[in-house]
Amino acid sequence: MAPSTQFEAAQPPSDAISALVFSPDSPNRLLVSSWDKNVYLYEVVDGADEAKLVNQYEHRAPVLDVCFGANRDEAFTAGLDQQVKKIDLATGEQTVLSKHSQAVRCVVFSPEHSILISASWDNSLHIHNPSSSDPPITIQLPGKPHAMAASPSKVVVAMTARLVHIYDLPNIASALASGSASSIQPWQQRESSLKFLTRAVACMPNDAGYATSSIEGRVAVEWFEDTAESQARKYAFKCHRQAAPEDEGGGDIVYPVNALTFHPVYGTFASGGGDGTVALWDAEAKRRMRQYQKFPDSVAALAFSKDGKYLAIGVCPGFETGMENYSGEGKTKIFLRELGETEAKGKGAK
Amino acid sequence: MGKKKRGHPDIEEILARPWCYYCERDFEDLKLLISHQKAKHFKCDRCGKRLNTAGGLSVHMNQVHKESLDKVENALPNRQGLEIEIFGMEGVPEDVLQQHQQRIITNFYTAQAERRAATGNPPPGQNGQGPAKKIKIETPEEIKRRLAVHRAKVATQKAAGANGAVASMPADGQSPAQGASPFPPPQAGFSYPPAGAPGAPPFPPAQTYPAAFPPGPSPPPGAASAFNLPARPPSGAPPAGAALPQRPPYFYNGASAPPPGYPGSPSTVDELVAGAARQGDDIDQLIRMAEKGIKPGKGAAPTEEAGGEKKSKKDKEKNMRMVYADTEVSPEEKMALLPKYRFAIEA
Ligand SMILES: [Zn+2]
Ligand SMILES: [Zn+2]
Repeated sequence: MAPSTQFEAAQPPSDAISALVFSPDSPNRLLVSSWDKNVYLYEVVDGADEAKLVNQYEHRAPVLDVCFGANRDEAFTAGLDQQVKKIDLATGEQTVLSKHSQAVRCVVFSPEHSILISASWDNSLHIHNPSSSDPPITIQLPGKPHAMAASPSKVVVAMTARLVHIYDLPNIASALASGSASSIQPWQQRESSLKFLTRAVACMPNDAGYATSSIEGRVAVEWFEDTAESQARKYAFKCHRQAAPEDEGGGDIVYPVNALTFHPVYGTFASGGGDGTVALWDAEAKRRMRQYQKFPDSVAALAFSKDGKYLAIGVCPGFETGMENYSGEGKTKIFLRELGETEAKGKGAK
Repeated sequence: MGKKKRGHPDIEEILARPWCYYCERDFEDLKLLISHQKAKHFKCDRCGKRLNTAGGLSVHMNQVHKESLDKVENALPNRQGLEIEIFGMEGVPEDVLQQHQQRIITNFYTAQAERRAATGNPPPGQNGQGPAKKIKIETPEEIKRRLAVHRAKVATQKAAGANGAVASMPADGQSPAQGASPFPPPQAGFSYPPAGAPGAPPFPPAQTYPAAFPPGPSPPPGAASAFNLPARPPSGAPPAGAALPQRPPYFYNGASAPPPGYPGSPSTVDELVAGAARQGDDIDQLIRMAEKGIKPGKGAAPTEEAGGEKKSKKDKEKNMRMVYADTEVSPEEKMALLPKYRFAIEA
């Protein structure tokens, strides 16, 4: 069995990480967005325990999210400056695709439908066809979006007030083709399975469902299918908590679960929390498979490479209640874990 | 087993056989037991290395593979915990030892009685007197009493030491997932098979009780007791390259509840609550309602940011401190307001 290894990327961002994402067609290519106003492109060198900085792309403001587009040289970013941008990673050329009226929190690209969706704190989604110059169509949301993820056929948007909207991508694609925003309604509207503010959403690669996490050390797993049977399968569990020292009154310190990502091959998932730990879970068997050694700071973002070989872990100080002097400077790191052959392989439902 | 033994060499022999704490198998000699444990319970599933103890394996996993060991493999459901340090027969808690012996004794006499019933012969070497009572090391009543005392003590400890944390976790199976859970809470050696004392009466906490940890003899090299774990040499693992700033997550004092969120503790999948959305987390919810303030739910008027901070203080009093407690405004929104990140749109 190939032993797993772990190493740090050279030249990490100089401030907090907002997102990590691997290229869908070039599995060693990693994009990282940061509060230091840059997007970084790294290349993981197989067998060398090394991730090299290839390029960086400066923005006007902190970048809150990044995703790959239709190919290895296309990327999209979500800016605190309210802009949705397309980046040509080869030339560095940046194109503004749309402007929201508040910061843009998330971007997701659906390679199956060639659709880019941006979610903004102005309570709206912009649906873009990146290969056309037409303006995007806008969908109003009932709350501020905080997390968004796409499966092959669905987009899950988690908002304030525990609102969750699920959109059907084929439906969005046909609306975009006909230019009729009014025909886009949520495929399903759900209440979050978690009582507290959502931190992250990730979709199962087999299109069956998704996981959400909250600020209150908890993860929920649920299925898209709207049958009583499917809905009865959903569950939630506590994680990323620590016992407080007895001399501080004991009890639990409850950390936010900042990041979730599904393994593209095995369908297991990883969670990363403010406690600086990453755990691997088997969603089917409902068990924790592994918990990795603690990282020096909060885990802000996670991503598996598309071949499932690497897990990228973005680490920086967590933002806690009451903080006014937050800085990730000097403490922001990207760890890459080359997984052992069966490291992320679940045992299946028991 | 301080009592005077007399009678049957047979059962003495059986009782003297070394056996494995993790799976209850018994062996010809100690060497075989130890190699069994290394192969079955202390083998690294990443590289195949065999360690001497679960603690050694845990250190190895941490240092070589950067992983945390969750539980002891191939162990009985209630023997998977890492808190008890076993090496051969060293480290087996007194009560587990008693339980094992009781089981052997019961099995022995059951088998003997069956044989007798089948053959019509008296047991060999008997002088007419029923042997069972004389040979017993300890009567079942004695063992039960011991166990009950111990349990009462454990219950007291739990109540005193772990209040909020443990209390907020449903201890028993509300969800279908729990029965099948591979992570039964090991409870630092206090979880016994249900075979023993049914409905143990509550004993006063002052009562003495058998120690949960091996008394007396110093453990063999590489088999330090759980209390010494953090200080022990890394059991064959390469020297710790990076001394970690945080304490290793896998050890805790056996006298207090294991920290939730750590391997095997009830805060993992054990308390998976099926249908969380429908049922909610009842106890959590009660706590929260008692605190008032947080009104999760749709349509609730957005609470102010300051409210979030107050809540976190209340949570602390309630023995749950949320590192980030604002239920309406995300950390990113707050960061975006800090002068260093704020973006001013040019006119
Ligand atoms: Zn065994
Ligand atoms: Zn190993």
